[in-house]
Amino acid sequence: MGEKREKVNKPDDERYNRQNLIIGSDGQELLRQSRILVAGVGGLGNVLAAYLVAAGFGYLRLVDYDRIEISNLNRQVVFQEIDVGREKTTVAKERLSLLNSGIRIEGINRTITDETVDELVQGIDLIVDALDNFSARFILNRASFTHRIPFIHGAVRGFLGQATTFIPDRTACLQCLFAKSPPPEKFSILGGTCGVIASVQATEAIKVVTGKGDLLADRLFFWDGLNGEATTIIMKRNPNCEVCGEHGLAQGKDLR
Amino acid sequence: MKITIRAFADYREIIGKEVELVLSEGKTIGALLSDICERYPELRRQMFAQTGELKEFINIFINGRNIAFLDNMGTLLVDGDVIALFPPVAGG
Repeated sequence: MGEKREKVNKPDDERYNRQNLIIGSDGQELLRQSRILVAGVGGLGNVLAAYLVAAGFGYLRLVDYDRIEISNLNRQVVFQEIDVGREKTTVAKERLSLLNSGIRIEGINRTITDETVDELVQGIDLIVDALDNFSARFILNRASFTHRIPFIHGAVRGFLGQATTFIPDRTACLQCLFAKSPPPEKFSILGGTCGVIASVQATEAIKVVTGKGDLLADRLFFWDGLNGEATTIIMKRNPNCEVCGEHGLAQGKDLR
Repeated sequence: MKITIRAFADYREIIGKEVELVLSEGKTIGALLSDICERYPELRRQMFAQTGELKEFINIFINGRNIAFLDNMGTLLVDGDVIALFPPVAGG
């Protein structure tokens, strides 16, 4: 059995030794102070939440309305067979607290809608998109812009995945890039693809919070697992964007 | 004028990763795609419905801008344009 650990998150904890070599204890302190919303606890959200909790981000709010099904287990690696039928947010919170007991994890079993989104992003410093549909992503993107919260987008289908980081007032937003919501369908999803994209998002989260490196800002990381290729595609702000454009939402106002 | 097409995933398998083309001035993205589809019928099958309409949700970007927010298929190409074609990815 491992030793009993104190339930606090200390930047100089031995567990962070290896990452302190690159982000320093100052960087680790920034992670400790940050509050992250993980929207969706499916294929992307499982991997993302695990890496964010392991890395020592101080507070995670996990939002999902779903219950665990047996067909989730090919990729949602935080869950186990005995969890089928239980709420994803509840189980993820339980398991991830065992991984790093110093992290505050809140599970919210709710759908992201125009009515719920403002409350869900309240007090949050960074939004991580692990959703499975564009309708909810567009709602979250609007909240990211009106509350000026950075937003890390990720999506997967089969062997394909994409990720990019939106910084309000500095980069394009989701609505600048994509016009419509593709209809919800039963997507094919591989665990490995979720792992690639969620790992890129978790890396972006460290960069946003610590200010290190070049973000995937105005660049879409595109992963084609079948051809074994990763590339970035240049993206640009739409000056007429209905969210962040000249005549978009709450331009110039900080509503936080 | 010279333009570059970067194709990803399904479209890359049909036309190749990156294609450079020399075109006459005043060509629209719609006209260009229709020329390319003449040469690659498989691309037509993947991108367009039988009615000739572009299938929804296919991403066509010119220099980082989605043509849905430009002039759609009527968007005029200019020298140096880089076109990106990639399929929708929406799951999570």
